[in-house]
Amino acid sequence: MIAAAVHLHGPYINWAALSPISALLVGSVVVLLVGLLRPRFIREQIVPALTIAALGATIGLTIWQWHADTAVISGALAIDNLALIMTLIFATAGIAATLLSWRSVAPRASAHGDFYALMLGSITGMVVLVSAQNLVTLFVGLELLSIPLYVLCATEMHRAASLESGLKYLIIGSVGSATLVYGLALIYGATGATDFSAIASSINHGHSSDTLLLTGVALVVVGLCFKASIAPFHQWTPDVYEGAPTPVTAFMAVATKAAAFGVLLRVLDVMLIGERTNWKPALAALAALTIIVGNVGALGQASLKRMLAYSSVAQAGYILAGVAVATELGARATLLYLIVYLLMNIAAFAVIISRERATPYGDDIDSVAGLGSENPLLAWPLTIAMLALAGIPATAGFIGKFFLIDALVKGGYTWLAIVLVVGSVISLAYYLRVIAAVWMRPAPGPSMAAAAGLPVIAGGSPEADRVTGAEIELTVVAVVFAAATVFFGIVPQPLFDLVQHAAQTLSGAL
Amino acid sequence: MSATTDAWLVLAMPLAGMLIIALGFKKLPGRSAGWIGTVAIAASFIFALDALIKLQALAPSHRELSSTLWSIANTVGVNANATLLVDPLSVFMICVVAGVSMLIHLYSVSYLKGDEGYARFFAYLNFFVFSMLLLVLAGNFVLLIVGWAFVGAASYLLISFWYRRTTATRAGIKAFVINVVGDVGLVLGTFFIFRSSHTLDLLATFHAAPHVFAKGSGNITAGCLLLLVGAFAKSAQIPLHTWLPDAMEGPTPVSALIHAATMVTAGVYLIARMHPLFQLAPAAETVGAIGGAVTLLVAGTIGLAAVDIKRVIAYSTMSQIGYMIMGVSVGAYSAGLFHLMTHAFFKALLFMGAGSLIGAMGGNQSLDRMSGFRRALPFTFACFIIGGLALSAVPPFSGFFSKDDILAQIGSRGGWYWALYVAGYLGALLTSLYTFRMIFRAFLGDPCPEASELIEHGHLFHPAQPTNPANGEVEDTEVGFPGPDHVIAERARAMQLAMGLLALLAVLGGVVGIPKTTTWLEKFLAPTFANSTLHLNPSNTLVYVGLVLGTVIGLLGIAIAWFVWVARPGLAPAVAKRLRFLDRLFENKWYFDELIDAVVVRPAAWFGRFAQGTFERLFVNGTLIGGTTAVVRAGSAAVRSAESGFVRYYAALLVVGLTAVGLYFLIQS
Repeated sequence: MIAAAVHLHGPYINWAALSPISALLVGSVVVLLVGLLRPRFIREQIVPALTIAALGATIGLTIWQWHADTAVISGALAIDNLALIMTLIFATAGIAATLLSWRSVAPRASAHGDFYALMLGSITGMVVLVSAQNLVTLFVGLELLSIPLYVLCATEMHRAASLESGLKYLIIGSVGSATLVYGLALIYGATGATDFSAIASSINHGHSSDTLLLTGVALVVVGLCFKASIAPFHQWTPDVYEGAPTPVTAFMAVATKAAAFGVLLRVLDVMLIGERTNWKPALAALAALTIIVGNVGALGQASLKRMLAYSSVAQAGYILAGVAVATELGARATLLYLIVYLLMNIAAFAVIISRERATPYGDDIDSVAGLGSENPLLAWPLTIAMLALAGIPATAGFIGKFFLIDALVKGGYTWLAIVLVVGSVISLAYYLRVIAAVWMRPAPGPSMAAAAGLPVIAGGSPEADRVTGAEIELTVVAVVFAAATVFFGIVPQPLFDLVQHAAQTLSGAL
Repeated sequence: MSATTDAWLVLAMPLAGMLIIALGFKKLPGRSAGWIGTVAIAASFIFALDALIKLQALAPSHRELSSTLWSIANTVGVNANATLLVDPLSVFMICVVAGVSMLIHLYSVSYLKGDEGYARFFAYLNFFVFSMLLLVLAGNFVLLIVGWAFVGAASYLLISFWYRRTTATRAGIKAFVINVVGDVGLVLGTFFIFRSSHTLDLLATFHAAPHVFAKGSGNITAGCLLLLVGAFAKSAQIPLHTWLPDAMEGPTPVSALIHAATMVTAGVYLIARMHPLFQLAPAAETVGAIGGAVTLLVAGTIGLAAVDIKRVIAYSTMSQIGYMIMGVSVGAYSAGLFHLMTHAFFKALLFMGAGSLIGAMGGNQSLDRMSGFRRALPFTFACFIIGGLALSAVPPFSGFFSKDDILAQIGSRGGWYWALYVAGYLGALLTSLYTFRMIFRAFLGDPCPEASELIEHGHLFHPAQPTNPANGEVEDTEVGFPGPDHVIAERARAMQLAMGLLALLAVLGGVVGIPKTTTWLEKFLAPTFANSTLHLNPSNTLVYVGLVLGTVIGLLGIAIAWFVWVARPGLAPAVAKRLRFLDRLFENKWYFDELIDAVVVRPAAWFGRFAQGTFERLFVNGTLIGGTTAVVRAGSAAVRSAESGFVRYYAALLVVGLTAVGLYFLIQS
């Protein structure tokens, strides 16, 4: 038997390089199985702990594989620094999302094991997506990322908005996937290859203005823009973000977005680099449109989640601008912004979740009114997150935007940099509104809170939602991520070094 | 522990002190905020001394250390690191700053005892010391600018410390605005230098400077002139000086620390620090030297006419800094810094004495009201005499050696520098005149009612109703006002100790630089200025003539002051009447406030009103803001109305977008 196995010419698999993905998959299965056990303690405490352990192991293995720079499974996946830095982002977002979900309704309503297993599955999909080296792996990764998310959005089954959000995401997501797969098929048809590097060399050898290929590129760009919520393919975002359980929203906002941009970088800067003269103006136009639509749409939203959804559209526009310049500096700025975006968004969502549970206003802006005097430990992280999203100096958000603008100007897209700045100016109107509510408005009186009863918009029944005791994990997440936002705003050098390593992966192509 | 570790600790101490006081003020009992602040600075001073010892243990050519704690931004052509530069110059500065600050903190523990904002005061004061230490330790332009701006902010906070006094807040704003002019100069100057040197690091800039800048070329001259704008604004040199006298609205320890001993000397430090650049820009050096000379004369004359005791000392500060600026601009670096140190001692001492007098006067600062405090406040009187003699450069007090050192070195350059030399001695005469005018008027003569109250009843005079001495407004001492309770400096141990130590330093401080005998300070600073192309070595004759001349002029000034204000009390008004024009000129401070008002403030305000009425209202508010917000609002409404919630509409828009993108790519093919 053993001898026979040796003689089989199966593909060589570098298990060490594959280990971050393996850890996620194993974690997913273990969490699912442990979730079947009856005791409440195991389901409510051990399962999240195991999830965090799996993600922690992933981070550890990722750091171990840093600079591995190797292709695995016959070149289907590339474990390079770009993939690894994205894995770090996903795993960090996953840990934060697990902490945020720990005592919330969503996992309870959908059996804890299922919830966390789906989340781990989705993260696996993200890692596969950003490591993909050919069209097939790319599509597998995308579906593995998307399908668990459709379910996660609908996990608060007793709440219509959650179900609606899941259904909408499923329908429009399927349209997006269909578009993408159609595009992939056309590219394959035009070049006769599924491998990224083979496609790239085929384009370089005279297929660059092939109608079939260009149609394929258009469809692929649209399909991926859909995942990254780029206008005009963003319309699902506010509805889905608002309806989904808030921890899931937080996870989607940072991790899905990062995955979409990770794969965009890989597809555009490696596979389609020969077409860059064609796709650069299109992406720049889309970025400008997205910045404007996102920022304008966020004005006057009463729901914080909806506001952050539009803000995430606008931020996606900023990040897309970094992709659109197609330079190494642009890739670096994109990656840097993704990291920064993770930090500031998680901090904001942690506070929102905490207020959802503590006040009867759900995710309405009233829920944070007077937070400054009531709970400074939550008020400061929210303030810092808002300032960072707006790009105020001494926060990492400023460094991110500064780097993006630098990349844009050096890449010859000064007009896009101006749009970015104008967008940031508009964004102050809605970010500062939150800060004003936190510090300048009085807290709604206790009588009002009592009259309104327990949270309704958050979707809980009073019995299910009774979370007593201080939610220390929310405060910890908020404070840690806000502190990191400030820290990297003052000492950004580690991030610069990190993204430089990651972007070197692409520099061969650029 | 190396000298650089010491330097970081020197910075960390006041920062920690500030944070503890600012965050914990609600829980700190009694006067502990003051003691925490004082101990923090004392620790800082000890580390500064340790750095000095460590530095001396190294070989002279290895005394330029830099230490980088982290990189702030090291990307795309900019190298901004958190770097400290530890060399003899910065160590000298941190020793002076931390040492004098420590004594002034000690003094403030008692002086501000009855004030409502006790903890706030010490938080600000520690913040100031942190900023000042950051400024002098900065190893690159970024930290230098940060420290420079922080110092300005701290100064603003402390001038406006009694924030319910309109005069104080206005003075704070004035100081801040003029300091920002200086900040802009510093930043732009940095830009001019960075553009050619491509590095922000100070040492790297100095090494690169001779290679990238031709002597006297446009970039370096513009850069140095702009740096000079920063130096002039911070050091209150003409024409950017008008904020300093007004800054006397702050509590007296603030005047002593910030507006005499440390912050205002930052300009001197800046020129000395940038000497490799200034030596490549002779035009900037000339402007600096002449500016200093003009300031020392003009400020001296105003000091003769001012009646507010703190303003007299403030003008004296301007005048003395004029000496220093003149010195470092002509290449007398160690002499200028020597004077910086001795001046810090005796000027802080004089301000502390003034604080004691003001306390006894129930807040009143007018020399017209004071007289005969000699018996009421004998200790203060002694301090004033020591400080005054040091300021008037009478041997063997410290100011004597430092001032003559500057002038002898200026004289050794010959040529037109003789004009500066003469101006310097003329200024010296004015110095001893206004100093002893102040002392004689406050301490000699018949005791004023406030002084007799202290002599006869043994307690301080308290006005029935606290008023703002500047404009007579009645004050509410509950919030943000100086309380009526002042400590008698004579009897408060902390204040006595601080004043006594400073008096000792004012007497003995000159020991480090007796010409031709003990040139310790010059030798200590030599490694910093080793690359200087100017080697001033005044001849023996010049030095000895200078010493004699300085003594004679100092004593002559005192004698004239005695004659005019003590022996013939009616003479001063009579002379003032005869020289009506000069008296008016001096009393109105050479009309600099009016000049700046007419040249800068009024046109700017007129243009502002004009623009507000036309451009602002019609174009900006109406078209630009109204139009933009309308567009944004309309866009917002459009985006939201597209967000119908129906999947079919979303799918439709998806198809539209897809078609648009597809068409674009098809057109490309």
